[in-house]
Amino acid sequence: MGETKLANKELWRIFRHQLTIRSANNYERQQNAGFTEAMMPVIEKYYDDPEEKREAYERHQEYFLTNDITSAIPVGVAAAMEERYATEGDIDPDSINAVKTALMGPLAGLGDSLLNGTARPILAGLAISFVNSGLGWLGPIFFVIGMSIVSLGMRYLGVFQGYKQGVKFVEKIQSSGLISKISELAAIAAYTIVGGFIPALVVINIPIEYASGDTVLNIQEVLDGLMPGVLGLLYTLLMYWLITKKKMSAVKLILITMLVGIAGACCGILG
Amino acid sequence: MSLFMQAVLVALFVTVAFIDSHTTQIHIFRPIVVGPVVGLIMGDVSTGFSVGVTVELMFLAVIFVGTAVPPNPTISTAIATGIAILAGGGTDLAVATALPVSFIGQIAETLQNSIINVWFMHRVEKAVEKLDTRGIVLNNFVFPMAVNAILYGVPTFLAIYFGASYVQGIIDAIPDQIITGLSVGGNMIGAVGFALLLGSIKAKKFWPFCLLGFFVASYLSINMVGVAVLAVVCVAMYYYFVIEGEKESSQA
Repeated sequence: MGETKLANKELWRIFRHQLTIRSANNYERQQNAGFTEAMMPVIEKYYDDPEEKREAYERHQEYFLTNDITSAIPVGVAAAMEERYATEGDIDPDSINAVKTALMGPLAGLGDSLLNGTARPILAGLAISFVNSGLGWLGPIFFVIGMSIVSLGMRYLGVFQGYKQGVKFVEKIQSSGLISKISELAAIAAYTIVGGFIPALVVINIPIEYASGDTVLNIQEVLDGLMPGVLGLLYTLLMYWLITKKKMSAVKLILITMLVGIAGACCGILG
Repeated sequence: MSLFMQAVLVALFVTVAFIDSHTTQIHIFRPIVVGPVVGLIMGDVSTGFSVGVTVELMFLAVIFVGTAVPPNPTISTAIATGIAILAGGGTDLAVATALPVSFIGQIAETLQNSIINVWFMHRVEKAVEKLDTRGIVLNNFVFPMAVNAILYGVPTFLAIYFGASYVQGIIDAIPDQIITGLSVGGNMIGAVGFALLLGSIKAKKFWPFCLLGFFVASYLSINMVGVAVLAVVCVAMYYYFVIEGEKESSQA
């Protein structure tokens, strides 16, 4: 039986090849070439017949797209399924792609909000605070160590646990609602972080003053007295509305924002 | 160190950073790292830190999800830091340089995804037909990573080696108001990234946490460390009081 299981050494090889999941990221089929490379250790080990080998590789040439880091989970699960199909032959090979596709959506959302929406802004915010308090290199070093743990640690867990638990893993996370619970926690973190970072990161300043009689009314001071950072919040909500309801592209909105900034600065409304 | 060597080293670092962003993702490609490293190479670490922090803050909220390619912070921080040090122009100049360059980086990366990597992917397909594992690795990993040197390393070298004198001329020709306008706009683009991230969150019912974070940060003016702590507290409370609570009541 020892022969029919992947050794740790071979799982590490999958881990290494999984790192290239997006190196040939392409708009036709996204991470398919990377997934194919990640499957190399398992396919090379279990398939001898060239025709079967080719079929196995071609399975993974299909469209695949999820978060780069959480993609380690379907890689591990698919490795277990390929092994099962090659050694026992008691599963339908089409189910391998079905499982991959089923995991794509939830893991993309989870990965984006956990990594891009939570871990990275938090670690970068902490690193900036370190630098601003005079700790110098400690900031960037802390940031890189933190992100290494997140990126490489999640991939390690994904490949090793995904493989060990195989299809059971998929059933488990689907039946226990684990993904939806983690998504809920990630949503809370992402919402709190976004809201909390808006005052510092979306800064809009109106340097207009009204002189009425002896008193000078500074609009920004009035706004800050009522609700500091409210313009940043309103502008973010406007962008949110334009993206979700008006389906405007983010790049267009960034360009428009820059033009608003330039126009505002030229007229003296923004500064 | 001669300017030539400095430009070569910065270009090399940018190439390695892009390889990281396309593979291991330990995030040496972020401005908070790129700024100080380029500062070290160019012999002015403190400008490197201040540009790194400024551009990181600008891009902290530029969070693109799914397939969208964001304006690129790596090449823009490298070139902006290099130019700011060479021209002695400080962070204002750096921000004005960083934004346009980030769009050039974005265009290059879109080109890479839509044309160059599609071509490599089809070469991977051919390698699969021949069962050529070396061909799979070469075309999925080695060649696309080498392309990073051409797409991002070479322009960085040219910008640092030849750019400083030109950029100074261009910057001088641009009216001050436009430069101010670019940094005004730069302070606002975080809104677009936040909006994208908010749009990607599936569990919409948690929106009050967004307002909680905002009001705590704005009225109490706590810093980003404080916001991170607040987020941890909120997550822990939800976990213990709601998720664990449900478990207990279903057991009872």
